[in-house]
Amino acid sequence: MTTKTTAVESASSKASRTPGIPHHAWYAPSKLGKYFILLIGTLLTLGPVLWTISTSLRPVTESLGASANLIPSSLDFGSYREVFEQVDMKLLILNSVLVTAACAIGQMITAAMAGYVFAKVDFRGRNALFAIVLATMMVPMQVTIVPVFMLIRGMGLSDTLLALILPAIPTAFGTFLMRQYFLGLPDELSEAAQIDGAGPWRTFFSIFAPLATPGMAIVGILAFNYHWNEFFRPLIMTISEENFTLPLGLVSLQGNMGTGSVATVLAGVVISMIPALGVFMFGQRTLREGLTAGSHR
Amino acid sequence: MSDLSRRAVLGAGGLAAAGLFGANIPRLFATDIPGRGDDALTVAILGTNQDAEARQNLVTAFRQIHPDIKVRIQAVQGQDWSNFFAKILTMVAAGTPPDVCVVATEGAQLFADRLAEPLDTYVQRDKDVMQDYFDDVHPSLVEAFMYKGNLYQLPIDFNAANIYYNTGTFEKAGVDRPADTWTTDDFLRIARQLRQGNDAPFVPFYWTNRLWGGCVPWLYINDTSFLKETKAAGGDWLWSTFYADDPAAAGRSGGYLWEESNALDPKVEESFEFLRTLVSEGLGTSPAQGGGNELVAQFAGGSIGMTPAGGFWVQGLSEAGMKENDFDVQFFPKWASQHHQLGAAGYAIMRTSKRKDEAWEWVKFCTSREGMHLAFPTPNTTPTRRSMCNAQLYAGKGPQHWQVFYDTLDKVGASPIPAPPQQAAVDTALIKNVLGAVTAGSRQGLRGNLQTLDRDLTLALGRS
Amino acid sequence: MSAAPVEPVMSQAIELDQAEQDTRRRRKQSRWFATLFLAPTVIGIGLFTVIPIIASFVLAFFEWDIISNPKFVGLANFTDIATDPTVRVSFLNTILFVIAAVTLQLAVALGLAVLVQSKMPNFMRSFFRSVFFFPLILSAASVSIMMSYLFNQNFGLVNHFLGKVGIPAVPWLNSETGAIVMIVLVYVWQNFGFSFLLFLGGLASVPKEVYEASSMDGASGWRQFWQITLPLISPTMLVASVMAIIAALQIFDQPYVITRGGPGDATRTAVMVIYESAFQQLRFGRASAIGIVLTVLIMLVTALQFRLSRRFVFYS
Repeated sequence: MTTKTTAVESASSKASRTPGIPHHAWYAPSKLGKYFILLIGTLLTLGPVLWTISTSLRPVTESLGASANLIPSSLDFGSYREVFEQVDMKLLILNSVLVTAACAIGQMITAAMAGYVFAKVDFRGRNALFAIVLATMMVPMQVTIVPVFMLIRGMGLSDTLLALILPAIPTAFGTFLMRQYFLGLPDELSEAAQIDGAGPWRTFFSIFAPLATPGMAIVGILAFNYHWNEFFRPLIMTISEENFTLPLGLVSLQGNMGTGSVATVLAGVVISMIPALGVFMFGQRTLREGLTAGSHR
Repeated sequence: MSDLSRRAVLGAGGLAAAGLFGANIPRLFATDIPGRGDDALTVAILGTNQDAEARQNLVTAFRQIHPDIKVRIQAVQGQDWSNFFAKILTMVAAGTPPDVCVVATEGAQLFADRLAEPLDTYVQRDKDVMQDYFDDVHPSLVEAFMYKGNLYQLPIDFNAANIYYNTGTFEKAGVDRPADTWTTDDFLRIARQLRQGNDAPFVPFYWTNRLWGGCVPWLYINDTSFLKETKAAGGDWLWSTFYADDPAAAGRSGGYLWEESNALDPKVEESFEFLRTLVSEGLGTSPAQGGGNELVAQFAGGSIGMTPAGGFWVQGLSEAGMKENDFDVQFFPKWASQHHQLGAAGYAIMRTSKRKDEAWEWVKFCTSREGMHLAFPTPNTTPTRRSMCNAQLYAGKGPQHWQVFYDTLDKVGASPIPAPPQQAAVDTALIKNVLGAVTAGSRQGLRGNLQTLDRDLTLALGRS
Repeated sequence: MSAAPVEPVMSQAIELDQAEQDTRRRRKQSRWFATLFLAPTVIGIGLFTVIPIIASFVLAFFEWDIISNPKFVGLANFTDIATDPTVRVSFLNTILFVIAAVTLQLAVALGLAVLVQSKMPNFMRSFFRSVFFFPLILSAASVSIMMSYLFNQNFGLVNHFLGKVGIPAVPWLNSETGAIVMIVLVYVWQNFGFSFLLFLGGLASVPKEVYEASSMDGASGWRQFWQITLPLISPTMLVASVMAIIAALQIFDQPYVITRGGPGDATRTAVMVIYESAFQQLRFGRASAIGIVLTVLIMLVTALQFRLSRRFVFYS
């Protein structure tokens, strides 16, 4: 019993260790130069976003590009009202939430399961199977979308949200990440559990799964980010407007034949940013640390 | 985090997720969409659900006449027609094709070739009702939907490319409204005057690079086109029955055929040379691809003097705050001819439909006065019935010379966008070569671009 | 697997038997476990990726427009794309794009990561880290919409600022070079954050002592960077470049929304040609054939990278 606890403790402390940030005094460009470059980088990165927000708040007549004033002469939420009038924003958001949540949760669970087996359970053909899974990452989605479409039709799920969800749950990239994550957890943990008489199920659920939550969080956040912003698959797989997700709704704001107003389109862009921003605030650190840990293992 | 609170959080999260998905099972399977899977006549239109709702009046009126026919309007979105057609094909592929579908000139021959049912027998069956329609509709619109002797659609709305101008910019430069028969020289003179009289940022002529209203009107007024235009035999059944007394119907055919590139025609080069000078002199924008989003605002704001547009634009300008005298419209200038380019649309019955008779009732209803009246309450397109392009439609919105829209057909003449069944490939081939041609450094360079255009068009047309 | 020392003593035989049964039971349990846990992913990927890939491969030998029945055409699709100038140009564009965009992306990401990881107050470090990561959360579609306004030749902010420093208006969308540069910039703007994150991790793992030792040897900043930092983070560099290249080879959203491939064919990419062939021209067999060529290209490039990595990547 004692062996097990110590093993778990040491592993968990290892897993949750945040990589220290060594302050390298070695590379010392002049301080001024360094901050100057970083500042320029910041301006170039945030500038377009701030411009988008400010333009979406301008009165329509002022929304033309050339006005370089970042601050609108007066705040006008008319474009936002317009967005809600032109498209069924509530439904778009609900659809995006359902699809994104289902994909994220589904990927987290299935990737953790498969990643664990690929990392910790020995069986014949394991490497070959894993190689096949990895290789599928290299095939552009545009190559497979037509057969997938036909499969979905065969399942009777054409033009439904499930047509977007089901094919997106099995994830090669997530499986790869989770395998890396589990590889980083020491084998002694499972040996200790086995000595303790735990079967594979208990070993996974009571020891590894709890330790893997940060890794699963990364898979979840990446899945969220990807599917929240996804454009091509919904474009092909959905037909009825009732099944649209946010990015498609945004493009329809541009109007048939591109007759929508700049401010309205940008207001839609800003609205769609907000949930992603929330996940970003919440998940940025987890993601950074997780990817950091995974990349040099 | 302690084990207990971790479990609590996980449990709560799981419950929330289960609740979210549990409560939305109909959403996931899309069974909550009204009318989905119903035994109804499905009508696909290009537009949003809002547009579909706007057609609800139409459905109600239709059902008063045909209480036994259930109708479901399905809005299908597309940024342009080729997107829309791709979606319709997706519906066919998904096993849920609509019964009736709005098709524009761009896709008319593609549909006629593969998807649509000829209307010949239906039109002849309901001769009396149809006579009323044909009497009110210019034959050039009907001919645009003939394909190899058969009629596939009855056009309900159209847009010819005319010149819109901002009257404010004309006044500033001291330019009067051009005459109906103005020439390309007049056009150049006015453009130069406009540039002098208006403050930067300003462009006298703004145009976008697309099939409708791009370079094609300049080819048409020079009596040429980028594809060789021939006409199919046949169609007498229609012309001799319904247009026997109309001089404008003389010589109408069984439909247009575009089978070969015409890019090396010297007249094509002449038209492109005109556009090239326009661009190099800074009188015209070098045309942006796609886009045109900022166009309404730019035009309303007075940074653009003239731009090609059709009757559809009135509503948009009015919504952007332009008053009825802030802008006006005139024909394209005269050159070798003054022939205009037009795009039109109408309903087509799908070959796969199992309710073709009911579909025909819908098509017929939409061509009636009542149907068109309900379909086009605002000038965001031009009705094909001459009698409906009236002062009432444009009241309070302008332009002052709204007669130009239908006179384009009646007085100067127009023919459809060149759109063979390979339209998508032809479209791409044209669009991608226009910019190079009009921004070429010399006439020699322009010739090189036209040769590439010729090669690309030939390739695009080459496939069956 | 460590084999326990087994002594051939009779009294232990029964115990041994017990242990063997135990192992067998455990192995069976473990097989069940592995099968069940792999099932969703393996079946899912098989159904939604592997079978479609095979189907797509088969389709490449047919002519099919969804409406009518597929027609076997042998290698016609492949010979067709081999001679089609547009397809050739689009592949060339894609390769050039990958070289430009990935180089820029990795350079910007590494440069900023080195700066952010150097000595500075913690709050500033987290600020910069968040900023450079931010564009990654936006959708390519909305970024493209946003950028096409900013880069508008006549009314856009970019030309407005260039004008302020005396550079005449650049025809971003209306010249081949302008359009290519713009697509590269927009793409890198949105995607450098991911490489940046990976580099941060790589840099953080370099032990401080290495630098201290080399500083004592009197190595300068730049020399340290080339001789120590770069070799030490080379595994990260491999991961970052493989991911960046695979992603860039599949570029679609930006040119689709911003330029539609133009002007001319300047920004037409391989995936765009697949899309156009399939969903605009209804030549699904031809689209599959182009897709297969692209897939093979991606695999070759990735294999080449791992090949090269054996020489250049340094594993501690």
